[in-house]
Amino acid sequence: MPGDVGRTTLLRFGWVVLLAILLAMVAAAQQPPTNPIDRWNRMSPAQRERELSKLPPARARLIRQRIWRYNHMRPEEQQALRERYQTFSQLPPDKQQIVRDRLREFHQLPQARRPVVHSEIARLRSWPEAQRQARMIGDEFRSQFSPQEQQIIRDLSAYLPN
Amino acid sequence: MGAAVARALDYDAELMLRVKEGDGASFGVLLAKHRASVIHFVYRLVQEQAVAEELAQEVFLRVYRSRSSYEPTAKFKTWLFRIASRLALNWLRDEKHERGQERLDDGSPDLPLRQVSDRRPSVEQELVYAVKRREIRRAVAALPEKQRAAVLLHKYEEMPYAQIARVLECSESAVKSLLYRAYETLRARLAYMETT
Amino acid sequence: MNCPIQSRNPERFVAYAAGTLDPETARALERHLAECAACRSIAADQTAVWKALDAWEAPPLSPNFDQRLYRRIDQEVRFSWWDRLARTFRPMPLRQAVPLTASAGLLLVAGLLLQHPGTIAPVAPRGEIVRANQVERTLDDLDLLRLLGTADSTQSVHPDAR
Repeated sequence: MPGDVGRTTLLRFGWVVLLAILLAMVAAAQQPPTNPIDRWNRMSPAQRERELSKLPPARARLIRQRIWRYNHMRPEEQQALRERYQTFSQLPPDKQQIVRDRLREFHQLPQARRPVVHSEIARLRSWPEAQRQARMIGDEFRSQFSPQEQQIIRDLSAYLPN
Repeated sequence: MGAAVARALDYDAELMLRVKEGDGASFGVLLAKHRASVIHFVYRLVQEQAVAEELAQEVFLRVYRSRSSYEPTAKFKTWLFRIASRLALNWLRDEKHERGQERLDDGSPDLPLRQVSDRRPSVEQELVYAVKRREIRRAVAALPEKQRAAVLLHKYEEMPYAQIARVLECSESAVKSLLYRAYETLRARLAYMETT
Repeated sequence: MNCPIQSRNPERFVAYAAGTLDPETARALERHLAECAACRSIAADQTAVWKALDAWEAPPLSPNFDQRLYRRIDQEVRFSWWDRLARTFRPMPLRQAVPLTASAGLLLVAGLLLQHPGTIAPVAPRGEIVRANQVERTLDDLDLLRLLGTADSTQSVHPDAR
């Protein structure tokens, strides 16, 4: 019957499409995570506990709490952080250390200055290299930011581009 | 979960909720914290070390298995010991007809009574301690199972009556009655003993 | 104080032997015990019972208790995954139901994987161990990198504020 043939064809087509979508999704989910925390989460409870038991209990407990907080970030926040870490982890070790130092210095800035410096970093990160350099040697930049702030902006915009 | 329960959430319950979310390391924390007391409780209840460890393993396995449906409606320790009590009391009931009293004379390891004196005990003292060890175990083992469980929870876990009631799934007045009869029996049986 | 025997309050003897009576009640009971031979006898007996129970030590745990438990947990996790997968390919009596059942099973697996890509995942292949020290360093870096993520950097989490 024509109706039966149509229904069967539709069912088979839908089945193929569904399988293709599901396989793509499963494959995407199965990509090995590069973030050590994500790889840690994939270890078995026994493996994780064995590793943590090598540390002093207080330190192990702190690590558990911090992992819990990471795992409970909003998904979009977590994904953005993963991508940022991806960029960071691909830097050579000496550049990674520069980024760490500058981030710590950034947080030690007076509270009122942090949004201003943060905005400048965000703006310069999205600019082409030549434009970024031109901005940073200009008088306006030098008058708006202290030498320490200039260094923070220079390094973070250079090593952590968008 | 009501606001009152949320406020009263103990740290162990928080850890268990993290286990529910997939944080296996928090399970390790709970295990490290509670394994000894669970094993000791079950041991004193069943008085066989190998059995006690097997039952304790089953307790923690059940805790892990039920992580996805866990709800902190009571303190974590109450829930944990409720599982332990059920398993141990069920084992006792199943083994009751076969085990009997003779089990107390073999199988279980000889364990020292805590000695206040640092001096090495003489042979005579060792014999006295061995008799006392056996007598304590016999006295507790001779209690009806639920009285036994109530005494162990009261004495070694220092649980208040209300918590024991929730563990043993009975009323608080029933717990008072269990403990009254249990201690009365133990007084009659052990009161002549003196520890050094 | 009322006589605990006459007032049917025998738990007072237990609390006294356990040392859990408040000081005022304990003193009142001791004054009563000086006058009541029956209560004095019960209190002495209960104290002896308490000391006898105190002296009953449980044997030490087996050193491999945790190891055995985690092995059982690992086996259960592996079994439940396999069981779930195998169920989706069991032959069904209706030809139309086979693709529907299989796709439903795959949907379930994909959904679980996607819901918590960082936390619910197959056990890592043997040998892929992340050290706790590495996890700690990564957490430190992630805390620093989060500072760049907040639009308003006044809400940044200080790396030391854990």
